[in-house]
Amino acid sequence: MTPNSVTSAPSRRRFLASTAVAAAAVAGGTPLLAACGGGNDGGKDGTTSGKDARKILPAFVASSVVTPDLPSKNGSAAGFTRAIDLGALKTSVPKKLGSGGDLKIMSPFWGTPPRGDNAYYTAMNEAIGISASWQNQDGNTYDEKLGAILASSDIPDVVVVPGWNLNGRIPSAIDAKFADLGPYLSGDKVKDYPNLAAVPTDAWQRSIFGGRLRAIPMPASYVTNIAPFYRKDVFAKKGYTLPKSPDEFLAWAKEATDARAKVWACDDLKWTAFNIYGVLNGSDKALWWDLRDGKLVNRIETDEYLEALEWTRKLYAAGVVHPDARAVKGDASNRFTAGQSLVFNGDLSYWYGSTAEQRTQKTDFEMGAFDIFGPDGGDPTLWATQPAGIFTFVSRKASERQIKDFLALADFCAAPYGTKEYMLTVYGVEGTDYTVKNGLPTKTAKGTNEVNGAYDYTGDPAAYLAHPDLPEIARLQVEWQQRMGAFTRKSSFYGLTITEPNRWTNLANDFEQLEDDIVRGRKKTGDMQQAVADWKRKGGDDLRAWYGKLLDDNGSAAK
Amino acid sequence: MTEESAGQREGKPAFRLRLRRDRTLILMTLPAIALLLVFTYLPVLGNVVAFQDYDPYLGDNGFSAMFLSPWTGLENFRRIFADPGFWHAVQNTFVLFLLQLVLYFPIPVALALLINSVVRPRVRAVAQAVMYLPHFFSWVLVVTVFQQILGGAGIIAQTLRRHGHQGIDLMTDPGIFKFLVTAEGVWKDAGWGIIVFLAALSSVPPDLYEAAAMDGAGRRRRMWHITLPALRPVIALLLVLRVGDALTVGFEQLLLQRDAVGPGASEVLDTYVWWNGIRNQDFGYAAAAGLIKGVIGLGLVLTANKVAHLMGEQGVYEK
Repeated sequence: MTPNSVTSAPSRRRFLASTAVAAAAVAGGTPLLAACGGGNDGGKDGTTSGKDARKILPAFVASSVVTPDLPSKNGSAAGFTRAIDLGALKTSVPKKLGSGGDLKIMSPFWGTPPRGDNAYYTAMNEAIGISASWQNQDGNTYDEKLGAILASSDIPDVVVVPGWNLNGRIPSAIDAKFADLGPYLSGDKVKDYPNLAAVPTDAWQRSIFGGRLRAIPMPASYVTNIAPFYRKDVFAKKGYTLPKSPDEFLAWAKEATDARAKVWACDDLKWTAFNIYGVLNGSDKALWWDLRDGKLVNRIETDEYLEALEWTRKLYAAGVVHPDARAVKGDASNRFTAGQSLVFNGDLSYWYGSTAEQRTQKTDFEMGAFDIFGPDGGDPTLWATQPAGIFTFVSRKASERQIKDFLALADFCAAPYGTKEYMLTVYGVEGTDYTVKNGLPTKTAKGTNEVNGAYDYTGDPAAYLAHPDLPEIARLQVEWQQRMGAFTRKSSFYGLTITEPNRWTNLANDFEQLEDDIVRGRKKTGDMQQAVADWKRKGGDDLRAWYGKLLDDNGSAAK
Repeated sequence: MTEESAGQREGKPAFRLRLRRDRTLILMTLPAIALLLVFTYLPVLGNVVAFQDYDPYLGDNGFSAMFLSPWTGLENFRRIFADPGFWHAVQNTFVLFLLQLVLYFPIPVALALLINSVVRPRVRAVAQAVMYLPHFFSWVLVVTVFQQILGGAGIIAQTLRRHGHQGIDLMTDPGIFKFLVTAEGVWKDAGWGIIVFLAALSSVPPDLYEAAAMDGAGRRRRMWHITLPALRPVIALLLVLRVGDALTVGFEQLLLQRDAVGPGASEVLDTYVWWNGIRNQDFGYAAAAGLIKGVIGLGLVLTANKVAHLMGEQGVYEK
């Protein structure tokens, strides 16, 4: 699993987004590579930026429906901490844009998919003016399904592709199988869809595949989405103070672990270790590279990468990591909420999800996320993640009517906080999927099951965080992002969607497994150094040269 | 003299007559033959991608992409043989196969003999049902049960800790992993494996046992001279089939536990093919690995069958 993948559905609430200023990320202005862009045929590697991207990108028209209480800062999401006044909801889609056509949509789904004729789907179809039928697939094995579906002649009209599934030959398949949305969205054309026009440009930039605008992006904050959570209530009860350095953490972990009482200090903290030691972001292959002293360096070649693995190995060797984490079994968040582990790292959205779930049973449950410290206990160096993480495509075989219906759906789903469209998309049907208690919308059991995933991915506004029922969590999340954002830097290929040539796409596939072997003591650091040497020999150095050419042609986003 | 009349003279009815006589049986087998053609023989043609740099996204669908993908000759095979990971997977596969052969294969035979010795039908039925049951559990459930018992936070480890000892974690120890998966296999499927042996035992006439008892043969003698000879052809047949399947030592079970012990201990040919073909989308490479596995499997089954013939058994097919 990549650091951007989460164990449950990444929804508006689970998947964070940002309002980072876009075009700034797109430096350069020089022509795109000869190898990329091209026509509508697939298999194009490279990227598109600068002047060529500007011709393709939609115009940006900021939304002013509701002003956030916590504006975006340092790349954070915007935060809404006030409850929605249900009597004063605004309208962002004044008339139905759909033509009533059919759309088959394939999407990942974490959990048990609802029946296709449920009240929520029916109401959404009615409001948008389309007839969408969902083919929800298991999110945990979505990559396997996706590869097979794209190789078939029966591709659904609309396909959702998470960024962490853009591996192997999938990017070239996207170029070959999905429609160019440029004729409908580029430049001022996007103004026909006001909510999509408010999507930040750097998210659109990520939606350029093979030289064409092919996807509706799910915008995300570029601040790391992996937070180290701790049991604030247990810390207070036991009198623990928050560790401020890796050494302090290890010392605390040894003290806090009581295996006999079935309590371990932490779960697997490899991702947090990468952040502590300033390892280049691992969520997207392009982010593995950065220009240092005039030379492109890959994360796996850096000292900090080995240091992070070594620190994580020490945690395992000290016996402070939950045994089920060593076995990669079960759910880390469940062990955390059950009090079997006191620290775990996961998507920032767990802060709300776990708190909301636990507060119904344990009123004193409290979790926090500690600020990431540097290797010496000082400030960390964090690396930006990509500003869009999930993409929705429309089949190249789709008719113009279907494409327009799809855009109507995306525009509706991208409605901002405080609108009627938002309420329907995020909460479902009043009385069925949610009820209003003390002026706050509260999901019913049916709503929790049905209003989940699906429409979360087919269009989203700029990144925001809003939890009307737990406003303090939204505030804490945004403030954490803002603090961490201050230490966040962008690596050389930030913001670009890069399709690597097929011959190198699998070159680094085994590193994640090797990392896990090393931290669990099954392999040694020397094995990693050998693997890096093999990687260079098998094409790593050629890939470096290829990326170097990209950098020469497109300029760097690093700032 | 026509062939037909010659056939009739030898007592064999003419082909047309046999066709008419056996038309019901032939009709009954047609769906099975069609199924075999469509789902077994037709996909064999897909092995051509082993000789290509196959890209399933080149055409409108995976099938037309076969005609558009470039030919690479034996390049995929060269890459496989040069990959230490492949040889490691082969080694793991054979070690697991031998372990399963020695530790797993005899157990259903022993259980069948035990069950067969139970006289009371009700006790026998209950015992059989209890033994069959785990076969219907999914591997996910089986691995979870083992994790709850033998894992680092499992029942045994916690009991040991409560009594002042060090906890154990058998689920993440690469050194014993192959024994662990064999144990899981025994627990799950040994009961199911006794069915065919019980069927063979049910064909032994009871008067054979009675006659032997009259001649003074004890239980051991009766088992040695009557029961085991009755099982010998079945054991030989299943052994030949098992050897032919030597390179198939489990897939889902191993994939589920890969992260717990790492690929060093758990990678076998099937997971190697899946990892490269499905996860890495290197279909040509994976098809080549699968083809190698198929050819080796064919060689093994032919060899095992020859050995069975030399031992005077029928094997999978007659000489």
